[in-house]
Amino acid sequence: MIEKLSESVMDKVSIDFLRDQVLKNAYGNDDTPIAALDPRVLLLWYLFFGIVPWFLNDVVVLLGFFVLTVVTTRVARVAPLVLFVFAIGVLSQTGYTFVVSLFFEGNLDTLASLLVLTLKVATCSLASITVFSGLDPDRLSNGLLWFGVPERLSFSIAFAYRILPILMEELQNILLSYRLRGRAPAHDTLMGKIRWLIYQVKVVMMSFYPLMLNTAKRSRTTVEALELKGYRYASTNTKVLKIKLSSLRAGRREAIFVAASVAWVALCFVVSRIVGL
Amino acid sequence: MPANTGYTQSQKLMTFVLSMSLYGLATLISELIPSVQVGIVEFSVEFFLFIPLTLAMLFDPLSAALGAATGELVFSEIMLGQFGGIGELEKFLTVTIALYIAGTLVRDPRNMRTVAIVSLGCTALQLAMSAGVDICKVVFAVEEFEAVPGLPESVFFTEGFALANDLLFSGILFCMLPTMFLVPRLYGKIEPLLGMKPRTPQNAPEAPSAKLVIAAIACFVIAAAVACFAEAGFTLFEWEAEWAESESAVFAGIAVAAVVAIVAAFWARRNAQLKAA
Repeated sequence: MIEKLSESVMDKVSIDFLRDQVLKNAYGNDDTPIAALDPRVLLLWYLFFGIVPWFLNDVVVLLGFFVLTVVTTRVARVAPLVLFVFAIGVLSQTGYTFVVSLFFEGNLDTLASLLVLTLKVATCSLASITVFSGLDPDRLSNGLLWFGVPERLSFSIAFAYRILPILMEELQNILLSYRLRGRAPAHDTLMGKIRWLIYQVKVVMMSFYPLMLNTAKRSRTTVEALELKGYRYASTNTKVLKIKLSSLRAGRREAIFVAASVAWVALCFVVSRIVGL
Repeated sequence: MPANTGYTQSQKLMTFVLSMSLYGLATLISELIPSVQVGIVEFSVEFFLFIPLTLAMLFDPLSAALGAATGELVFSEIMLGQFGGIGELEKFLTVTIALYIAGTLVRDPRNMRTVAIVSLGCTALQLAMSAGVDICKVVFAVEEFEAVPGLPESVFFTEGFALANDLLFSGILFCMLPTMFLVPRLYGKIEPLLGMKPRTPQNAPEAPSAKLVIAAIACFVIAAAVACFAEAGFTLFEWEAEWAESESAVFAGIAVAAVVAIVAAFWARRNAQLKAA
């Protein structure tokens, strides 16, 4: 039973699956209402929901914020894998700390204060998932560039999405060729299982050796191609920036989005005032 | 050009791109692979720090360090939507500082003893910095931290335990040994691919000057303070029951108006700036 389960999990978590999920997350949801919004407005929206929850201790308001970010995440149609990673992260952190605090005479009060913390963390993470996963990477990096974020960061974002599938495929090929050439130790006994685990870890570590050499060649090609186009001068030149960022437009749709968010936040505060918590 | 600063701008960019893509890929994978937990001892392949560590020892340390931190930020935080806002600044700085210091300490990559000591020291430094910040965060985030039964002990315990576990397990197995495996094999092979000379004691980068170290520590302290403040939610915005009549409502209103005004002013200025170009 357990063997079957682990086998099916291992099937799902193949490198191909990861690659598909990441790509789907990046380019698969261009047609959502969130992706159509102006990236600058979304970044400002994120700044609000990424910072303000930390200053609040009102459970009703925090719950309201949380609900809003859940809705936007739903609208942005984020890939399930991302949500799964998020859920694991948030739950395991809280659960782990609570279980340990039980050993030190913790009680339900501990859980309550941990829950407030979890609510804050969850709201911020969901807001970031909405913005950073819901947006096309090119639009995201343009938005960041508009705010004057260092060119290297916005370049890194756009570059990362393009290089990632290639790198993953290469890593997988190297891993497969190691597997073809080597012979994994039998893993029926406990000792064998440990030996098998060590073998697997060693293979992953060793595969980085050829990968590093290949990536070094590739990064040289990339940088030379960038230099040919005058990348380092273009990144500091406002004329180039103007052309690059001329596609950004904030209009009626953005106004509606901002107005709806502001109205919801105001409503949260009013409700919390009425409930009087 | 003096012999000891023999890296050109494009070589620095190559190192940055190389370190960013490799470490980004590694952190993305380690983020997605669930960790194996035996009791409370966590066996996770969390630490792929050996990759940028190797690069920092072979190439320009600052570019490799910045590249690794950016790669982690972009691949495993932004791509997966795990971007934690201000909190990420602290991780970014700890990784950069630890790698940069480690990279400058190795004058000759062929000396295996220095490589071993520095790689373990780098891990220890990074872990100690982040554990310290984590403890501060929880202390500030939860009001009346001391009053919540069992919380302080459990936080200190989990953090301390995680630190020891990570250092012994990840530090030696996943950081020191792979670095000792990779550095001598890559030395002299990977540098020509980027058009550079291998590092020798004669052309090694300058050790960080006292000024730089002080600046780095100051940066880190500020980042830690900001992270703590953000989570402390300093009592400027106390949404107490009588907020509608009290002064705090007026202050909050002024703060909101100020933020809106600043954003609007920045927006207008940036638009004008781009239009004028």
